[in-house]
Amino acid sequence: MTGGEGKTPERVCLGVIVGARGLKGDLKVKSFAQVPEDITAYGPLEDEAGSRRIDLRVTGQTKDVLIARAEGVGDRTAADKLKGLRLFVDRDRLPPPDEDEYYYSDLIGLTVEAPQGNLGTVRQVFDFGAGDVLEIAGGDFGTVMVPFTRAIVPVVDIDGGRLVVDPPDGLLDDNGPDEGGQDA
Amino acid sequence: MSRSVWKGPFVDGYLLKKAEETRASGRNSVIKTWSRRSTILPQFVGLNFGVYNGQKFIPVLVTEEMIGHKFGEFSPSRTYHGHAADKKAKRG
Repeated sequence: MTGGEGKTPERVCLGVIVGARGLKGDLKVKSFAQVPEDITAYGPLEDEAGSRRIDLRVTGQTKDVLIARAEGVGDRTAADKLKGLRLFVDRDRLPPPDEDEYYYSDLIGLTVEAPQGNLGTVRQVFDFGAGDVLEIAGGDFGTVMVPFTRAIVPVVDIDGGRLVVDPPDGLLDDNGPDEGGQDA
Repeated sequence: MSRSVWKGPFVDGYLLKKAEETRASGRNSVIKTWSRRSTILPQFVGLNFGVYNGQKFIPVLVTEEMIGHKFGEFSPSRTYHGHAADKKAKRG
């Protein structure tokens, strides 16, 4: 993903060409979209510089990758040349999220403020099954994990490039001793 | 083989005690635990746990759907740097 810190990224990486398949120019494409086939749903894909447009047509799927054809790629030699090419789409082409929904790519890079001090910036967003969790690093408290809930993250200001976090007791002292103790 | 029903769900005693203390105090604090093996009980719903994954404490806000699962299920211990270009986070 590209884009400056704290601002909506202008372009989003939706996948990468990982190799050729067969002799007729088929490509193996690793999709980063939530639904892999959606890699072509947001309009034409481009390379990182934006200088080359790649018209992909998904023709099949294996366990890990999509099989696709690209316009102008008719044999394995041409397909091999595209290996490693990352595929981007303009951020504006993604549909607007619902209320209280945010694209991971918009959250990553936001500056995080808390009453206790500067927490750093959002490095990653995870969903381990218990709701979304922000990984925040680079601040006064090292790396901290913060649940993305309305109570704990009351302010999300994408345009301003910042989040305000109101952490509950014990959330920031990650490596400190635990009160009460546990059995060995 | 699944666990015998007559035994009831397994929970480490110290975790149950800490959860009850936190609930009784009414404080909104994170209960740090290393007990990944403990079952999530109905009385844990609404509490914030920090479940250790070997490196750090992953925040787990317990909801009703999690009852019966183990804490460790929500705190992966293996590194995964995934891509989610069009994935959305919903503020819970």
